[in-house]
Amino acid sequence: MTSAIRTDGLTKDYGAGHGLFDLDLDVAEGEVFGYLGPNGAGKTTTIRLLMDLARPTRGSAAIFGLDCQSRSVDVKRHVGHVPGELPQFGPLRGRDVVAYLGSMGGGVDQAYVRELAGRLELDLGRRFREYSTGNKKKLALVVAFMHRPRLLILDEPTSGLDPLNQQQFYAMVREAREGGATVFLSSHVLSEVQHVCTRVGIIRAGRLVQVASLEDLHEIRMHRVEIEFDGAVPLDRIRAADGVADVVAEDHRVHCVVRGRFEPLLDAIAGSVVVNLSSHEPSLEELFLVHYADAEPEAAASPC
Amino acid sequence: MLRYAFRLHRWGMIGYAAVIAITTYLQGAAYVQAAGATAASRAAFGRSMSALAAQIPYLLPPPRRLDTLSGYVGWRAYGVLALVVAAWAVAAATGAVRGDEERQLVDTWLASGVSRARLVLARLAAFGAASLIAAVVGGAFAWLGSAAVDPLAAGPLAAQTLLLWLFTLAGFALCFLAAQLVATTRGAQMAGAGLLFVLYLLVVLDRTHAPLAQLAWLSPFKWYEVSDPLVPGGRVDAAGVLLTAAVIIGATALSALAFARRDLRASLFARPAPATAREREGSPSPLLSWPVARLLYRERLVLLGWALIMTLMAAFMVSIARSVVDSVASVPALRAFLVRGGGDPYQGFIGGFWFGTAQLLLAGFAVHLVSTWGADDTEGILAAELSAPRHRWAILAERAVAAVLGVALLVAVGSLVTAASAAASGTGLDATAVFQASWLLVPFALTFAAVGAVADAEWPRAVVGLLGGLAFASFMVFELSPLMGWPSWVTNLSVFQLYGSPLLTGINWNGLWAMVAIVVVGFGAAAVLMQRREVAG
Repeated sequence: MTSAIRTDGLTKDYGAGHGLFDLDLDVAEGEVFGYLGPNGAGKTTTIRLLMDLARPTRGSAAIFGLDCQSRSVDVKRHVGHVPGELPQFGPLRGRDVVAYLGSMGGGVDQAYVRELAGRLELDLGRRFREYSTGNKKKLALVVAFMHRPRLLILDEPTSGLDPLNQQQFYAMVREAREGGATVFLSSHVLSEVQHVCTRVGIIRAGRLVQVASLEDLHEIRMHRVEIEFDGAVPLDRIRAADGVADVVAEDHRVHCVVRGRFEPLLDAIAGSVVVNLSSHEPSLEELFLVHYADAEPEAAASPC
Repeated sequence: MLRYAFRLHRWGMIGYAAVIAITTYLQGAAYVQAAGATAASRAAFGRSMSALAAQIPYLLPPPRRLDTLSGYVGWRAYGVLALVVAAWAVAAATGAVRGDEERQLVDTWLASGVSRARLVLARLAAFGAASLIAAVVGGAFAWLGSAAVDPLAAGPLAAQTLLLWLFTLAGFALCFLAAQLVATTRGAQMAGAGLLFVLYLLVVLDRTHAPLAQLAWLSPFKWYEVSDPLVPGGRVDAAGVLLTAAVIIGATALSALAFARRDLRASLFARPAPATAREREGSPSPLLSWPVARLLYRERLVLLGWALIMTLMAAFMVSIARSVVDSVASVPALRAFLVRGGGDPYQGFIGGFWFGTAQLLLAGFAVHLVSTWGADDTEGILAAELSAPRHRWAILAERAVAAVLGVALLVAVGSLVTAASAAASGTGLDATAVFQASWLLVPFALTFAAVGAVADAEWPRAVVGLLGGLAFASFMVFELSPLMGWPSWVTNLSVFQLYGSPLLTGINWNGLWAMVAIVVVGFGAAAVLMQRREVAG
């Protein structure tokens, strides 16, 4: 299958250990590829290199076989981009921004723009400076999708969107994929990339540490769980359950960590009276600290 | 917070301190060259300059004792500085209110528990400290400029320094209040500049129409110029000082009240949002879809404002040419100035005053254009444009063509109004010379734009300060070179010198080719740098 994105030893060294180092990545056409990493890991740097907004220290990147630097104009005929830092268009109205940027990409289908804006509940008649953060993000999504590009490069596209609009965005991504588009989506939320992506690259401290399938992600993923019982606590059964660790009991309450599936824990507490159960996903940085605690990023890197 | 607020003013302080220092130093140092060393030559100089000053009341306050160095510095340096610091007050107050709100700094301060009243006071105090430093630096350089000939007395100089500081602070407080009434940075700039312009107009009317003199007492410009501590036998007007202090306190209190009653990023008199259904049905301007036109469309209000100023200034200066020249023609030194190059004195006046002003206005427009390029970079718009399939050089080329068209539009307006006003006032002008002088303004303004394009490619955040400084230095070299007897190679460094005096002495072909070369090389170099650089966002 043709590569939509391919990088070879792509490096951007900002000094003092900051930047992106020796990135070898291959995203196939038609994939929805999640690019996962905590803040400052190098996700935006990667995207800026792909978009030719930053220049690599060494290595190369290509999109649909076109070098991102020497053929950047040709590359961008195929790309829709949502930047991490949204541009500030001040007094222009949303529709003016669409017309302004749309004209640079060869014109836009106004009916499709209206459809996208309608789906995201974005009022294109308002001035950019009057938009909330979420509405600015919606406008960026409209601009990225409006040309029906072959490749969408999206830098944390859901930050600032409410849950309903997030669902709408996921639907747009699925439709783009069904239409043959490739999606490269950066995020620092594990559950989000699990929701829409077919494969995930995990980046930490400027280095790609793993390219994982969805099944692999289940192993990485974990939840902190708190259970409150009415009556006896089945502590031994909980401790013996697969994937359950760090079990701490206080009176009728149990705290533990669940990695992978929940079934073993649910089986363990079956028959007990549970009055409260809460679960939350730790931050990606916390999760990485646990998962890659013993591995330096270089050592953990695996071929893609 | 006070320290951080002061930090926000530091570049303005450095820039304006430099402008004030250069102005005060050079006027003091140039006095002997201009007026001579004897009492008789100074008296003659004083009479000539007083006659001239009487004809340009819109620019300078009434002169007093121009036969003395202190009188000359008080008039020529501190008189002009009122306009200079007024521009600083507009920019600083706009940034302190709307700029900080748009950057969400105010949100952060308020969220940290700072009260709104304290925030207003802190901003006033921070600007007060910055403007005091600038004024003191200016005072020190005024003394240095006069030290070799006739050192200014410390007491009067300190008083003049404090008067300038108080005036600056009053301008800031008024613009700070005006900025509460609008919702945007551009609106605040226009409101502040408009308010100070009206107040300045009151003083101009006072200088030219005696029956309107009482109105001038509404203006801080009047309260500033009514004191003349530098002039021998001069004084500090207590009423003027008290009124200035009262305006600072009153405007600050009103600003605090207004700020307490409005939303952030909103006007004190915020209107409800327009009907969104109607808004949703609207269409974008078709101009936004066309290369070059889309850049001019984004700057349409600025273009309109500049064209209006060009129109008013051209109409005013050309229409007064006849009466001014007739009244000063009896002064030999001024007549010699007006007919230099063997030309017509009316044409000499229009060439010197109106085209000199047009040069400043167009240099200012070029600085504005370059500031928008820098802002596009820092605000992520350039990155968004480069996410479209566009060559980087094409962005530079589009900017250059938009600059050519924008400047050409303003020049066309200026030249048409000049011709119409001259015809209406019966002032005969050589049409060919006016045409040449007008269109030479295009390469003149583009020279600044081209230098700005290079600076923008390397230092987008500092480009306005750099280009503004260059324009000011260029102007000062042009103004002072004849007085100071600087060598021609120094004078030719000034873009104003490259433009020359085409209305009087014809086209300076060497200067024209030099400007064209700078424009071509500048935009070419900017295109190369743009190709190599990284882009913010």
